[in-house]
Amino acid sequence: MSKVILEVNELTTKYITRFREDIYAVDHVSLKVEDGKSIGIAGESGCGKSTLALSLMGYYFPPLHYSSGEIIVDGRNITGMNPDNVRKTILGNEISYIPQAAMNALNPTQKVIRFIEDVIQAHNPRVTRQEIYELARERFELLGLPADVLQKYSVELSGGMKQRTVIATSVILSPKVLIADEPSSALDVTSQKMVIKMILDLMEKGIIKSLIFITHELPLLYNVTDDIMVMYAGQIVERGSADEVVFDPIHPYSKALMGSIIVPEAGLRDVKLTAIPGTPPNLKNPPAGCRFAARCKFAMPECQAISVNLRDTGGGRTYRCIIPEEDLRKAYENES
Amino acid sequence: MKHLLGQIFRSGKFLFGFVIFMIIMLTVLIYPLLVEYPPLKTISRGTFLPPGIYVNVYDSMTFSESYTLILDNAATKRIASKLNAEDRQAMKEWLVIGAELPEDEIDVDDTAKLIDLWTTNFDPTVRLPGMTNADRNYYIRLTASLDGLLATEGATVAVANEDTGVLEEKYVIDQTTYVNVGEVPNVRVLPLGTDNFGRDVLTELIKAISVSLTIGFVAGTVATTIGLILGLVSGYIGGIVDDLIMFITNLFTVIPSIILLILISFSIGQEKRGAFTIAVVIGFTSWVWTARAVRAQVISLRNRDHVNLSKLSGHSIIHILAMDILPYIASYVVMALILQISSGILAEAGLSILGLGPRTTEVPTLGLMLNWALIYQAPLLGKWWAYFPVILIIALIAFSMNLMNTGLDQVFNPALRD
Amino acid sequence: MKEYRNYFFKKLGWFAVTLVAAFILNFILPRLMPADPVAAIVARMAQGQTDATGVQAIYEQYIELFATDKPMVEQFVIYVQNVLRGDFGYSIAEYPRTVNDVIRSSIGWTIALQFPAIIVGWVLGNTLGALAAYLKGNFDRLLMPLSIFLSNIPAFGMAIIMLVIFAVELKWFPVSGGYGYDMIPNNSPEFVWSVIVHYQLPFWSIVLITIGGQAIGMRSMAIYELNADYVKYARFLGIKDRKIIQYVFRNAMLPQITGLALSIGTMVGGALFAEIIFSYPGIGTTLLTASLGGDYPLISASTLIITIMTLIAVFALEILYGFIDPRVKAAQAE
Repeated sequence: MSKVILEVNELTTKYITRFREDIYAVDHVSLKVEDGKSIGIAGESGCGKSTLALSLMGYYFPPLHYSSGEIIVDGRNITGMNPDNVRKTILGNEISYIPQAAMNALNPTQKVIRFIEDVIQAHNPRVTRQEIYELARERFELLGLPADVLQKYSVELSGGMKQRTVIATSVILSPKVLIADEPSSALDVTSQKMVIKMILDLMEKGIIKSLIFITHELPLLYNVTDDIMVMYAGQIVERGSADEVVFDPIHPYSKALMGSIIVPEAGLRDVKLTAIPGTPPNLKNPPAGCRFAARCKFAMPECQAISVNLRDTGGGRTYRCIIPEEDLRKAYENES
Repeated sequence: MKHLLGQIFRSGKFLFGFVIFMIIMLTVLIYPLLVEYPPLKTISRGTFLPPGIYVNVYDSMTFSESYTLILDNAATKRIASKLNAEDRQAMKEWLVIGAELPEDEIDVDDTAKLIDLWTTNFDPTVRLPGMTNADRNYYIRLTASLDGLLATEGATVAVANEDTGVLEEKYVIDQTTYVNVGEVPNVRVLPLGTDNFGRDVLTELIKAISVSLTIGFVAGTVATTIGLILGLVSGYIGGIVDDLIMFITNLFTVIPSIILLILISFSIGQEKRGAFTIAVVIGFTSWVWTARAVRAQVISLRNRDHVNLSKLSGHSIIHILAMDILPYIASYVVMALILQISSGILAEAGLSILGLGPRTTEVPTLGLMLNWALIYQAPLLGKWWAYFPVILIIALIAFSMNLMNTGLDQVFNPALRD
Repeated sequence: MKEYRNYFFKKLGWFAVTLVAAFILNFILPRLMPADPVAAIVARMAQGQTDATGVQAIYEQYIELFATDKPMVEQFVIYVQNVLRGDFGYSIAEYPRTVNDVIRSSIGWTIALQFPAIIVGWVLGNTLGALAAYLKGNFDRLLMPLSIFLSNIPAFGMAIIMLVIFAVELKWFPVSGGYGYDMIPNNSPEFVWSVIVHYQLPFWSIVLITIGGQAIGMRSMAIYELNADYVKYARFLGIKDRKIIQYVFRNAMLPQITGLALSIGTMVGGALFAEIIFSYPGIGTTLLTASLGGDYPLISASTLIITIMTLIAVFALEILYGFIDPRVKAAQAE
């Protein structure tokens, strides 16, 4: 078994609203990423996956607050660390981040190289500008980006180029973990592929050791990450290898999510397209029982009352439902 | 609609602004019903009578019941009103320097002795070193006011006999004689005194507010209408029409509108400048911001599905603008109108200060009142009641309208709520 | 650099066209009015209603300068020629001084007063607004209502209030003029001191009215920028807050420059009233004299000069803006 790079145990974070209400957007989430492995997190928008991305970095600013659990990076628990210290030693350095809206992620009035200088000098003030330039040029060229991008302002770059610049900037310090939050969702299909290829390249070329890839398009994760976790209303509802979760989902929500998406990949196209009726529950007052019960086709009366824990199938997969695996599979067969 | 109104009135800023504005409006509407003085009638001889209650002296002596009140501090108050601490100190200074009296012999609190020393020693012809003319006049005035200050007997009122012309004593008014103000037939309350022409400032001000609000409203309506039409046309039609309109808009944005106003008002000439004309002229020079805002909104709307659908159904441009676009920008137009009204009031005031406001014979406006106060140097003379209430009202109107506008903005653009 | 040159020439072209339009407006507006002041004055003089000194001279000048007996187009050509030569004829209110002379003696005062005051007000307002956005809390709660209040006091109102408080009541500063009324302009320290003392009240009243609006604008701009995506991204790459604040304020300040260019006309208009209230010897006071004296040549020349000054200020700001905001260059490259 290879080394664990990032281990998250029962992490819970909350938003505190203006009216002092607590909203638990990430609820007891655990995960483990090993060296050289990647994990995908999928779910509808508003399920808490972007909040999970922010929470995983161990640095919180209002309205998001840490509640409980631990984040262990390379053997170091960062949840107990001083926030300024986290910012200085962990962010960008150990864990890095590709934001959802990469289009606006770069300061419009700053040249790319100036920003990279700021990033590097925030962690190591002694590096000279010349060294930074050499490093950045090398890194950009390694990732197939022209070096003259460094001397441009973000407004002078095209959408795809901006996205790739952001990716290259995010990994400039060769972080151990890279968290990518919907890095491709705003792009056209060609750029999407380019971005995904670039992120996979980062793993291959050893720039990053592990990857967490977040998206609302479950099928997109197929061929991209090793494992997939499906998230619903702040909780993980299913986890397994990419193949298994995409082609053989157990949880009714994963099943429904597969059906609700227009899939570009050949071979996935025959999956029936159905939208999931209803909306996710209000996390201000989450339901007592299963959070998906209200929208679940297979829900039973007790689903509303009994809260379920993740259960193990024995084959390295977990899911969160009181209905046994076999019964669910039978129900899916009857459906189609 | 009901829901929207509810939301608007729940906005604290809007409500606060609305309340201020309503108080002003209600005052303007109700005051003339209660007080029917003509606003521009000269009622006083002499200018800038200070605010207060004016009691007719003749009436209080002859027509009113007189009462006797024995009040301990009446004499002290009477003396203090003529001779305050500052005057006493000034007298002491003169006596020490001018009459070379020893300083410790003069007790400023012993009024009788002080006045006695003063009357025996003061010589108006003596010039002290460093004494200005103003100082000398002050001492002469002071001396005059001391006359009879310590008298204890009453004043006698005498009337000339109709036949002989000889003065005959009628009454003696004791120092303890009082009248009840309620029983005096002629009492005029001038809460803000009178202005340079001797007119009741409060009555004039109320009238001026209503005229200025009307000017603001007319100017605002004209400006909003022009801005709305230009913005709609420019934003919706686009192309060369848009370029042309935007050129004109940019031109009028950079040229100070007050400059155009000055030039036009001056050219119209004094005789032809009525309040309404001024209002329309203000409207014609202040539509640019509305045009800009409306255009930006229309551009973001013109490719919406419902507009395209309407186009496909063969509706005319006017129909589309009126039915499919206008409802969506109505809130902006209302906000623009509010701002235009307050800037119209300001523009009128500015013009009037320059003497280019409405001609002065018929009605007062806030600007004209300021103009008169400035010409007669009210600020330098310390006649605050002639200008300060006017400035305060202008600022309050602008403030309330701005608050309402900000409140509306927050309701219509939730992103601005923090 | 090529993009910037494009931008520069575009703006220069716009400046030239606007200038021409301003000339035309200044010429045509008075003549469109029902009581054309030129005609009115000429008629008044021709009838010999006024018989003060120099009336004949003014009258003859009029006919020559404005060529009122010729067609409109020809009048315009003559007008432009005269303006280019700086010849605006005699002032009626200040005869026998020429308009040129009156304007020349007042324009320096106006530039020296308004230019620094608007810049200082802009800088102070932006600093306060940025601080309010960054510090929030009590500073913000105190500053914002104050700024809203300040921005709602009309320019003349502010000037009158300052005049009454600091000149009439406290007597810290003189009530009017640009220097002591008993002085003759020279280089002596007394004169310079007198100019400085007379400068304070008009200056600060313009600064104060400028601060309010600028602070409000900067605060909302900075709050908007503080929530921008690039701020979040920079934070998650470990960049210090102090550095991020620099990004934010630079970006929030740039639109404020455009804002200044757009509102400088209004500001200049307001500042003229500060001059009038303090009888400062600038163009504002000249306008008042001209208006009260029915002095058409002086009004026309003053308004033209103010317009041109404003246009130059706007042009300068836009050139500066194009220089410091890379987004402008990018827009030109497309």
